[in-house]
Amino acid sequence: MAKVKSATTRTRIDVRPISGALGAVITGIDLSKPLSEEEFAEIHQAFLDHLVIFFRDQDLGPEEMIAIGSRFGELHIHDYTKTMDGYPEVIEVIKLPEEKHNWGDDWHIDSPSFDSPPLGSVIHAKDVPLYSGDTQWSNMYLAYEALSEGMKRMLSGLECVFKGTHKGFMGYGGMPHKEGPDRTAAHPVVRTHPVTGKKSLFVDVKPGRNFKDMTVEESAPLLDYLYQHIANPDFACRFHWENGSVGIWDNRCTLHRVQRDYFHELRDVPESLRYMTRVQMMGDEPY
Amino acid sequence: MANQAHATSADQVTVNPLSGALGAEISGVDLSQPLDNKTFSDIYQAFLDHLVIFFRDQVITPDQQKNFALRFGKLHIHPLTEGLDEHPEIVEIVKEPEEVHNWGDRWHIDLTSLESPPMGSILYAKEVPDFCGDTQWANMYLAYETLSDGMKRLIDGLVCVQAGGADGYKNYKGMQFIDAPPMQAEHPLVRTHPDTGKKSLFLSRKAIKHFKDMTPEESAPLLDYLYQHLTNPDFACRFHWRNNSIAMWDNRCTQHRVQADYFHEQRDIEPVYRRMHRVTIEGDRPV
Repeated sequence: MAKVKSATTRTRIDVRPISGALGAVITGIDLSKPLSEEEFAEIHQAFLDHLVIFFRDQDLGPEEMIAIGSRFGELHIHDYTKTMDGYPEVIEVIKLPEEKHNWGDDWHIDSPSFDSPPLGSVIHAKDVPLYSGDTQWSNMYLAYEALSEGMKRMLSGLECVFKGTHKGFMGYGGMPHKEGPDRTAAHPVVRTHPVTGKKSLFVDVKPGRNFKDMTVEESAPLLDYLYQHIANPDFACRFHWENGSVGIWDNRCTLHRVQRDYFHELRDVPESLRYMTRVQMMGDEPY
Repeated sequence: MANQAHATSADQVTVNPLSGALGAEISGVDLSQPLDNKTFSDIYQAFLDHLVIFFRDQVITPDQQKNFALRFGKLHIHPLTEGLDEHPEIVEIVKEPEEVHNWGDRWHIDLTSLESPPMGSILYAKEVPDFCGDTQWANMYLAYETLSDGMKRLIDGLVCVQAGGADGYKNYKGMQFIDAPPMQAEHPLVRTHPDTGKKSLFLSRKAIKHFKDMTPEESAPLLDYLYQHLTNPDFACRFHWRNNSIAMWDNRCTQHRVQADYFHEQRDIEPVYRRMHRVTIEGDRPV
């Protein structure tokens, strides 16, 4: 079990939770410098305990991003989105000033249509709005644990089918998409985290999904219920980005969504660029 | 239209928006001192523009909290909750450490079962957890404005029958409730703000029994849809309390909810106490 209450008593780094559900801000670390084994071990423990960890005021280029991500695992190369020139492991996540939607607006798992979906990501805010485009994460251990015993039994053994297509990555002015083959993968609805051994719900909010060996229509009642359940705000934290902020999340036991609160006309909010860089770590096949 | 484009600054008052949807933190004001008319009018304009305003590090007495509230209107006496002995207008909101729920942890508008629901409230954090029990507010102008023109026409003129009573108030150990008779009122689903002239959705799901002249069954599909619509996280901001933080919200055009993220067992979080003082201001009959 995550020792949340003892989290601030570590000696090297300071870990401060930002909500009761998940998320913590870490201070006392400069991520642009190589991390010692001890430092990384503490950061990794905080990552396991808090599911998403944050750092402020970090100055990181693509090489530093690759170095940090590589401490967590082998890096994954996105196949549906153009990557940064000279750094295929790095994606530039860009919302142009006039755009009102983000890459990743609804609660989602990153790339679940891979047989082995990513372990997690490191994202770095380079140039972000003063007060729009926060990101929320949600704790899928809690979403699982909050279900009744009967529901847990019913879900055990069920697999959800995830489909991926490059077409889902069109429509972002600052992010040229790449054509790639369609993918399909089925994963257990309840997965076990390979490191913590804890169970979590592994579904996200996308209409038209189905359980393996069942039709879309047959799957809808339960999937709709689970979508509503995982979107309970009590399972979530919200992080406000500043230039230099870093987020590192565990894609095996969290969902995330970006606020689409660019109400330019409705509230006379100024148009603003949102520019981040991201690397993603390869994960295991869920079980 | 409200201009969020730049932080407005009078002599000392600065207003910094908290999200693209609503909410702003005001600094440069000491609420323990009487406010001159210019300062108050800046605060009032920020309240109208941002719907919920926040102040940090305010050390004020119950009388000073009431005096600030009196600048906005007459003080309201809660019909179902005992106020402080010396200050019946102040409700002490208490969550005992062992409790894992709050008073108000689902999206709601305050006291819509009254003929004239409150205009707003001023909530003062006396003793709050380090990282649990944040409050979210949502912008009900946006919830209305983002409906299609057809839906706006469809719901124009609908009246909601609201009912409430002491029953829902009894499960809070740290609070004293009054066994008052049930209340009932009828209010337009779309109301017009008396100061801004803007329309907003006025739908507090739990209090609404049905549309006037329709059955609960006939009313449910539309009410449920609109509730799902207004809980879109993009319309919301989230405020993290510290001791001596103050929030003041406009109850005519917002909803709010408290995070029930006291995951004592699941995440080994230490049980925490949460105590606040609320003063409420009388409102008009919705039109």
